[in-house]
Amino acid sequence: MNGFPASVERYLERVLIERARPLLLTFDGPWQLRAMVGDAARFGFDAAAPDVVVERLQDLFLGLPTGQMQDFPFVELAGGGNAHVHLVPDGELFHVLLLDAGEEHERTRAQQQLGNEAELASLEKSRALARLKEIRSELERQRAGLEEAHALKNALIATLSHDFRTPLTSIFGYLHLLERRAGGDAAEIDALHAIRRNATYLFALAENLLEYGRSEAGAPNERAASLINAERLDAPRLGADLDAMFRPLAQDKGIEFHLEPIVAPPAEALFDEVKLRQVLINLLSNAVRYTHHGEVRARIAWREQHLELEVRDTGIGISPEYRERVFKAFNRGAQSGSRGAGLGLSIVKRLVEQMHGTLDLESTPGAGSCFRVRVPALERPGANLPAAPAGDYENVRRAAPSAVVVDDDPDIAGLLEVLLADLGCRVRAFDDANAAIEHVRAEPPDVLLIDVELPGLSGNAAVYRLRSQGYKGRIVTLSATATDDARRAAIAAGADHYLTKPLNIEQFLRTMRATIA
Amino acid sequence: MTELARKVCMLGDFGVGKTSLVSRFVRNTFSDKYLTTVGVKVDSKHVALPDARTVKLVVWDIAGKSALDALNLNYLRGATGLMLVADGTREASLRATLNLLMQARDVLDDPAVVLVVNKLDLVERWQVAPATIAELRRTLPVVETSAQSGDGVEAAFAELARKLAA
Repeated sequence: MNGFPASVERYLERVLIERARPLLLTFDGPWQLRAMVGDAARFGFDAAAPDVVVERLQDLFLGLPTGQMQDFPFVELAGGGNAHVHLVPDGELFHVLLLDAGEEHERTRAQQQLGNEAELASLEKSRALARLKEIRSELERQRAGLEEAHALKNALIATLSHDFRTPLTSIFGYLHLLERRAGGDAAEIDALHAIRRNATYLFALAENLLEYGRSEAGAPNERAASLINAERLDAPRLGADLDAMFRPLAQDKGIEFHLEPIVAPPAEALFDEVKLRQVLINLLSNAVRYTHHGEVRARIAWREQHLELEVRDTGIGISPEYRERVFKAFNRGAQSGSRGAGLGLSIVKRLVEQMHGTLDLESTPGAGSCFRVRVPALERPGANLPAAPAGDYENVRRAAPSAVVVDDDPDIAGLLEVLLADLGCRVRAFDDANAAIEHVRAEPPDVLLIDVELPGLSGNAAVYRLRSQGYKGRIVTLSATATDDARRAAIAAGADHYLTKPLNIEQFLRTMRATIA
Repeated sequence: MTELARKVCMLGDFGVGKTSLVSRFVRNTFSDKYLTTVGVKVDSKHVALPDARTVKLVVWDIAGKSALDALNLNYLRGATGLMLVADGTREASLRATLNLLMQARDVLDDPAVVLVVNKLDLVERWQVAPATIAELRRTLPVVETSAQSGDGVEAAFAELARKLAA
């Protein structure tokens, strides 16, 4: 029929039957089993229970006519076998033929399993990527929020910085005037000393907070940009102030306070006195706070081209495991019974680093601590100040030098007027840059003192405009912003000197004497 | 008395849990391991009806696909009920299931249908929104199920049996 030789046909029949292992069931009428030929067990059937076999096959063809050819490949039967199931009508009879699909089923399932699992994994991957994107977006949103909060904090710190320093300038300035004019009344002198001591302490505390704020405000390179004021150090005066501040506190606690004889640095060795003072106040505050009996001893000495500060106490000491932690901010737990914000030593470390110095700690729990600071002298600033541009102004040197003060704070303006008048100057004060510019153009003064943070036209803009118009007089800029960037901006605008608030009165007077000389 | 028996086909994309639902329904078992179905598995179970009758559900668990080919359509022949299965964690599987229903209706004459949204145990990861299911309920009986815990499985088959015996 198909052209194959009979021998081949017989061979094929044998091979296919061997591989398909058919089970043939012949029925008549409504599923009456007449014959079963083949290996029923291979398909999960029990040949001894033909009723069960018939029921399962009936289930397979439920709802289908037995008079039509039916073909269901890959049927996993309830008994566990896998078969290609065929229904073959045969007159009044019909046959159900099951061909073994076990091996083919396993092969197909393995391939299908791989494909489906790969697709499910791909779905999971897509889902994970989408989740990652969501997380990234959320992080971006949070970062933006943090940056906004950070910017607000920086703005707050800048405002606080200005708002602290401006009134302190007035306090220290007028205190200076009061001290100069005080009579011999001991009570009056004591009162003034008390005011200075506490104002200095307040200043140090405020500076601690501001310094901490600055350290948190910017990138590492910005953190180091806090301004260093190089000036001659009045070491005896510094020692006297510290003695006045801490001796009463020590006495109140029943401990001794010793300030060793000061070895002052030479006049040409310059330091940032405000920062040194802050370092010593912080170290001494801690020493007195954590010493309950015995003594606190301080030393200020010029030695081997360095200024050495040492604060030693017989207090509670610091355990070795806390040595590093005490220099971190808000370390209140580092010393038992601690009080305060826990900022002091972290600020000390930072200030010493800013001054390129070193800080060492020796401590024995229960016996006391010793902090040693060594700072080198600073370079003299302003050695290469830009020359004033040429212009039409003719500065007329008069017998009494003239000065113009520009500051919108009437207390500061008044203080500067008094201080300059004491130096023999004729002074005009303005609270507005434009009015001052008009006056300077009409009557160029020998020296102009101008605040940077003026309403409207800023001090730097006014200085720039005056220099561009040819004003050749000396210009001293005042600002509550104590950063290198602020100093550079003022000098670039044309100022000769940049002083920060609160004014160090001695430094101010030295600068002004040199300026009008 | 002639036994009431109905052929029911499980339809849904691969991996939605059709085989697990049948295992839970017929044998009350569950396996975490995913094992794909090749061709079809046939099981049966008697379900009691509210009117004290019972119906034998012959359940054809057809290999999962997002669209029916000629082979799958052949398996559907003789079925009067469809259990549509979607995976709540894969919204695409719900769309696939609804597509399968439309294909099945071309070869079956008004089958009884119940939609099952499976994997209720993973409800935190579901992509199918409650509002979507609420909308579908206006046209189909919908049962949220977990083949893992068994939640909703009996109810889904009982609902289908009730519709088939009506």
